[in-house]
Amino acid sequence: MTLDVAIFFISAIVAVFGATMMITVRNPVASVLYLLVSFAAQAVLFIQLGALFLGVVLIIVYVGAILVLFLFVVMLLNLRGGEDLGQPSRPMSRFSKYLIGALLLVELVFVIRGSAGGTDQTVTGMMGPVVETFGSVQDVGMLLFTTYLYPFELTGVLLLVAIVGAVVIAKRETEREAAQKKQLVEERGHSSEEKVS
Amino acid sequence: MEVQLPEVSLRMMAPELFLFVWALVVITFDVVTKRAQGESVGYLTMVGIAITGGILAITGEGPGFGNMFYNDPMAIFFKIIFLGAAFMAVGSSFGLTKQKIVNHRGEFFGLMLLSTVGMMFLASANELLTIWIGLELTTIPLFVLAAFFKDNKLSVESGLKYFIVGAFSSAVMVYGLSFLYGLTGTTDLLQMKLNLATVHLTFRNIGVILIAAITMLIAGIGFKLGLPPFHQWVPDVYEGAPTPVAAFLSIGSKAAGLAAFAKIFVNGLSAFHGVEMAPNDWGKLAGIVAIAALILGNTVAIRQTNIKRMLGYSSIAQAGYIMIGMVAQSALGLSAVAFYIFAYMFANMGAFAVVTAFEDKTGSCEIKSYAGLAKTSPMLSICMTIFLLSLAGIPPLAGFLAKYFVFAAAIKQASLEGGQWLYWVVGAGLITAVFSLYYYANVIKQMYFSKDDSPYRVGLQAPAMLVVLIGLAGVLVFGLYPEPVLRFAGEVPSMFGFVSP
Amino acid sequence: MLEMVIITLLKIIAVLAVVLTGCAYSTYLERKVVAAMQHRIGPSYAGPYGLLQPLADAVKLMFKEDIIPDNVERWTYAMAPAISFIPALLTFAVVPFGMDMTIFGREIKMVLSDMNVGVLFVFAITSMGIYGIVLAGWSSGSKYSLLGSIRSSAQMISYEISYGLSIVGVLFIANTLSLSELIAQQETILDWFIFSQPVGFLLYVTCAVAETNRAPFDLPEAESELVAGYHTEYSSMRFSMFFIGEYANMLAVSAVGTVFFLGGWQGPFTEQVPILSFVWFFVKVFMFMFVYIWLRATFPRFRYDQLMNFGWKILLPLAVVNTVVTGFFVVL
Repeated sequence: MTLDVAIFFISAIVAVFGATMMITVRNPVASVLYLLVSFAAQAVLFIQLGALFLGVVLIIVYVGAILVLFLFVVMLLNLRGGEDLGQPSRPMSRFSKYLIGALLLVELVFVIRGSAGGTDQTVTGMMGPVVETFGSVQDVGMLLFTTYLYPFELTGVLLLVAIVGAVVIAKRETEREAAQKKQLVEERGHSSEEKVS
Repeated sequence: MEVQLPEVSLRMMAPELFLFVWALVVITFDVVTKRAQGESVGYLTMVGIAITGGILAITGEGPGFGNMFYNDPMAIFFKIIFLGAAFMAVGSSFGLTKQKIVNHRGEFFGLMLLSTVGMMFLASANELLTIWIGLELTTIPLFVLAAFFKDNKLSVESGLKYFIVGAFSSAVMVYGLSFLYGLTGTTDLLQMKLNLATVHLTFRNIGVILIAAITMLIAGIGFKLGLPPFHQWVPDVYEGAPTPVAAFLSIGSKAAGLAAFAKIFVNGLSAFHGVEMAPNDWGKLAGIVAIAALILGNTVAIRQTNIKRMLGYSSIAQAGYIMIGMVAQSALGLSAVAFYIFAYMFANMGAFAVVTAFEDKTGSCEIKSYAGLAKTSPMLSICMTIFLLSLAGIPPLAGFLAKYFVFAAAIKQASLEGGQWLYWVVGAGLITAVFSLYYYANVIKQMYFSKDDSPYRVGLQAPAMLVVLIGLAGVLVFGLYPEPVLRFAGEVPSMFGFVSP
Repeated sequence: MLEMVIITLLKIIAVLAVVLTGCAYSTYLERKVVAAMQHRIGPSYAGPYGLLQPLADAVKLMFKEDIIPDNVERWTYAMAPAISFIPALLTFAVVPFGMDMTIFGREIKMVLSDMNVGVLFVFAITSMGIYGIVLAGWSSGSKYSLLGSIRSSAQMISYEISYGLSIVGVLFIANTLSLSELIAQQETILDWFIFSQPVGFLLYVTCAVAETNRAPFDLPEAESELVAGYHTEYSSMRFSMFFIGEYANMLAVSAVGTVFFLGGWQGPFTEQVPILSFVWFFVKVFMFMFVYIWLRATFPRFRYDQLMNFGWKILLPLAVVNTVVTGFFVVL
């Protein structure tokens, strides 16, 4: 067994272990930490495939930013696991949860069996040989700013929209705005709340 | 390294780029004028949409960024629908912005425009990545719009529900797309079609992966379209969201999802036309979903007492009818789908405009409170009646023709070898169409055949009046004289390479 | 193969030893310098000029009782110091300490791993440093700790963007992400990126101070309001791990800053006497550290809103403008 194979199996097992633990532990903070472990192991896998850039970016973006946000939210909500998370799920929804899981598992097994028929060769055949600089920063950058420039820019628009939306949702009313609103409601004689009833 | 860009033509993207900039202008205008200009922001938005429509008319066909952005007849047709829906949604939300939305009018209209921009990008996308980004760009503003009444529990609930469902369905969809990419090594739909044929001939085992991909994609897009069993969010979101947003949701995002469906399935996965297609046929699965949508939408709608929920279930049913045209997998079917959405837009936006006006006046969405409306507001009642009859598919309105074409396309395909199962879908459509008449007629009954006069007199503001008139004109004119639209809709599948129409 | 493993192990041990000693003596340096600035003497009992003071501190901390309060999340509480400590050390894996030299006939690179995306690695690791603090604060079950760690995460997220952008200008000019390549491009003092990227350098220093939670950005442990911030509940070795981690972070940021802006180990006469490259590197890092301490002795702490305003409304726009302008010039 070469070092490469050993590293692959160790990181693969750690990644799967982390993912499994992430969904099974009750404590949300531990959950986030297991996800972190899983991501770190996945980054190793990426790096092993030669996609150094992707691996490091995975760490920077997910571990460095997104999971911190998760952790932050979990902390602010002050979930400690073991809390009563609402009423227990009805048998129907509990059943459907396992059903979907089982279906996905069956599907996955079939996919793996199906791909044993040689799709890996297919893909390599379709995509042409792997170039030597595969996964390097230059190559990724080059693709991102030429062939995929348009989706890349479109993603920028998407982020802008998300920011505008988040601000609208999260912004508190200023006093002036609240007063304006109150005045409007009084003029109309009923509030938006009445609509609910 | 040499920089090689695909064929870029910003001229082709002009409508989208203009509308994007205009959305930012609208938001900025609202902030600069200290949020005091409620009406003018709305008018500004409508003007922007109108200008975009003008630009679209002179843009023409051609590639905007290689194959990732290509203006074909289908793209242009759908863009007209999106712009129309946005125009009518904005037009009917004036009362709302006057009464309930005080702080963020600019953002309200701006997000609506941004969502439209996403739909338009989607309509031109011929590639998995851009299709997905376009779909996200469409739905993310809608999450926010659905939750726009921040102090109203129902609205917040609907926004949250829509967000969770939307995020989940996106994830499912991306998973499916990744299978397709892994199978064919390309995200380009045309290339994918070719590769799939090759892969299919070389390796026999890909069927399972394809089925996995197809299932996930149908699930993902099914969520966006509200097709059963992924429909649970629809009534709650329609009920809680601001009414014009619900209207926009029912046309805009639905048409966007259908465009994505048509592109991925009818185009990308159509490699098996003619080839032995037994295990890889997505049509039957989609057909089952369509039947489920027809039965569920049309029966549950009967029991609704809230008109927005009723229209929500009705939109599930309408999506079922549209899917009939889709599963026909023919050029005719696709044209029928395009025409259906076009006709549906006028009727549905019109009906929602009336519902909005009624809600603005009375604060109620119950079907009961429409009782006796015909006596106090006769014109409005007549308009509403026409819209509902068009939705139910009564001749000579546009809705009838739409249903007719969809069924015709499916029956034509069913008569071909191996297409007999389509009869089941058509049969379900025909039978449930009768059910649908019941709940649409229920509203009409309330308005006309109630003993008491309605305590309300509902008038229309100028923009809402415009919307209702447009809807009326669309339903009547295209019901009696559909030729121009049909000619255009006939060109919609031209890029899909069907063997014979 | 075996030889390579042995050499790498030796290098790791050497780097760890140097860095840990460096951390220990940074505390000494800090106490002495601050004392001098405040007209005091500072540590002076243990050894000549108090030079053995860090050792005495270490011994003292080791023999203190390790207190674990009742209402902590034990598992995370125990892990947090290590989580904050390890990333700080990991950074040194890609920092070149000196010239490549030949020892016993073998060509040896004076860097543990000469990655071609070293810069990204540094940022990946820096971004992980926050976990230790956040987890410590959360798991302690004390409101001071929690407030400190929330402050800290908000601060680090805010400043990380400017921190990253501050060196993008350098990367534009150098056109590489490898740290040794960066050093190679700064051969003479005029090539140092501090001269072509003065704004970038200032941004880097400012954000680096904020990233390491040092004065005047030390709100997470503001003693006047939060007792000791995120490590309020910690004692003994666990406390000292935070302590060492903080100084290791400072050293790491200084070392990386030296590589980015001050030419790394480059300096006069390195060609003739390769050993001198270590000295140059050490001197530059020392200067950085001195500035750190100087800042602490000089500036009062920011108020929280000032900190946020400064980060988002001044540093970030400045960093963006700097990036854009640099990009503009590079393209020209």
